[in-house]
Amino acid sequence: MKLLRKFVLLTVLLGIVAMPLAPVTYAQAQDCPTAKDNYVIGFANLTEDIVFTQLVREGILAAAEEAGNVEIVLADNQLDGATALANADNFIAQGVDGVIEFQTDEAFGNVIMSRFRREGMPVIAIDIPMPGATFFGADNYLAGRLAGEALGEWVNANWDGEANAMLVLELPQSGPIPAARMQGMEEGFQETVNTPVADEMIFRLDSKNTQEESFQVVSDTLPTIPDAEKIVAITINDGTALGVIAAAEAAGRADQIMVVGQGADPSGQEAMVAENSRYLGATGYFPELYGFQIIPAMIDLLECNAVPPAIYVNHVFISQDNICELYSEEWPAFCTPS
Amino acid sequence: MQNTATPAQSKGVIPKIGRWLRGERLTTLNLFVSFIIICIIFASQSEFFLTLENFANIGRTLGVVSIVSIGMTLVLITGGVDISVGSVAALSGVVASILWLNFGVPLFLATLLGLLACTVVGFLNGYMIAIVKINPLITTLASFSIVRGLAFVLSNGQTNQLNDEAFKFLGRGEIGGVPVSLILLIVLYIVFFVVMHFTHFGRNLYAIGGSADASRLAGIAVRRHLLIVYTLSAFLAGLGGIIIASQLASSAPRAATGLEFTVIAAVVLGGTSLSGGKGSLIGTLVGVFILRVLDNGLVQTRVSSFYQDVISGAVLLLAVGFDQIRLKLTSTFGGK
Repeated sequence: MKLLRKFVLLTVLLGIVAMPLAPVTYAQAQDCPTAKDNYVIGFANLTEDIVFTQLVREGILAAAEEAGNVEIVLADNQLDGATALANADNFIAQGVDGVIEFQTDEAFGNVIMSRFRREGMPVIAIDIPMPGATFFGADNYLAGRLAGEALGEWVNANWDGEANAMLVLELPQSGPIPAARMQGMEEGFQETVNTPVADEMIFRLDSKNTQEESFQVVSDTLPTIPDAEKIVAITINDGTALGVIAAAEAAGRADQIMVVGQGADPSGQEAMVAENSRYLGATGYFPELYGFQIIPAMIDLLECNAVPPAIYVNHVFISQDNICELYSEEWPAFCTPS
Repeated sequence: MQNTATPAQSKGVIPKIGRWLRGERLTTLNLFVSFIIICIIFASQSEFFLTLENFANIGRTLGVVSIVSIGMTLVLITGGVDISVGSVAALSGVVASILWLNFGVPLFLATLLGLLACTVVGFLNGYMIAIVKINPLITTLASFSIVRGLAFVLSNGQTNQLNDEAFKFLGRGEIGGVPVSLILLIVLYIVFFVVMHFTHFGRNLYAIGGSADASRLAGIAVRRHLLIVYTLSAFLAGLGGIIIASQLASSAPRAATGLEFTVIAAVVLGGTSLSGGKGSLIGTLVGVFILRVLDNGLVQTRVSSFYQDVISGAVLLLAVGFDQIRLKLTSTFGGK
């Protein structure tokens, strides 16, 4: 009898304690109309012509499969704002629950976002910010800085902390995002190296984002620094880095140059693991892993959980020292001890 | 008001000036003088411009545009145009690298097969233009898109490394201090100069460009000539693509993007008429030199890349504009 009385008392007490919580839980379900058991998420890729974006798409599909309750509807923005807008309209017509946008046109970004907002759809924008969307992408300054610091450390260890000239293979026409990368690389190098390169020995060259242009402008610049025997180059991506190395090799000055870049795509990795490589390394962006951060974030948005306004990629500087920890299957000859 | 000179006048001084102004040689001479002036300006601005190392560099990086420009000159002389050359150049490197890396075909043979693929594209271009009678701009615009897409499909969008010393020799090697690609372009220019000026084939191309109908009535096999010209253009574009791949030791489906514009600019700068029937390979070569030296000098004098584009465009406009003024003066002074 005593035991029964205790049980009843405990139940009443628990009921009193739990009573105020019940409306909260009820209200939460009411306040989060997008929460469901299963989700359909639209993903409009930047383009399907580039390896980088193909890897992003594959990663998103893999992460959705891993989540178990997410179905992905795919579209291709074809690097075109008007196509992105048409794809956005299609997503709305199909009634997707949320959208992952990878599109390049800032002006169309405003229009696209106004449509999604009207429908109350959460959006995650990859690499190019869109107003009102959660940003996911590279921390370009940090990514640049990692490469610049690695190059500075290499110069300190191998060239007595001094380089005679610096080639900056940039992409001035593409605005602030690549500029942040270049700024990070340059500042990272200059603040790490024992003796910073003098301003007049820094050559800013427009790579036009191609290996050929990079080859040509570096070929044209090398004759103007005949006495420089320690040249460093910081480059906007792997292709540009390979152009710099090719130009130095063609001029017979490969041993006088050391290059870092951004991306660490397969062609860059191949150059890194080559014998006597002049490609020290590149900051990795891991597009294949984007999905594993984006899909959980999208589910959080749909379930009204707090998500930071910007989510950044976990960058790592990839070089001969750590490539086997990340890509051992890709480079068995390099990574397998003989 | 053209051709107003009387027979009496035609023996005077003014018609002589007219004839002198009219000559194609003068276009080339004008260009050569422009080239020298540009060199003097850059030499005064950069102590490194007139150095052996820089000449070797210019020679090494001239090959691609100058070789592709041979084909474009021939095409423009016939009154056509080929804007697929950039895509075709990318295709040759991609095909060669795929055959070598994925199928184990020896690189020399893979390179030849890459060139063969480009030649087939050129033949198809020529077939559509000469036999099916589709406008050259439309035909080559279509192949520009198809071939570039094909390069992406074959390579899966990837850049492939071509680390083979013998292969790299073509784009980077030297014989007696002279870049191999420069030797190749000199040989090709000599061969095509002879073809254009000392064979029926070459003379017929000018006639076709002047008037395809009149040429047909005169018994020239216009269709066969066009077929050959477009095939040659694609073959030379493919060769340019192989040189790019050799210089960079890699092939990329994005290679040679925009090459068609540089090549057309060089050929037009060299005095070849976009409406056909007029042009010379020597003019084209000087045009290529001017554009290359301009790029080289602007980089060496550290001019911002935005201004470089403006200056290159302005030089093209000025050179072609002056030539048009000269032609107007020709009519004024009683030339034909």
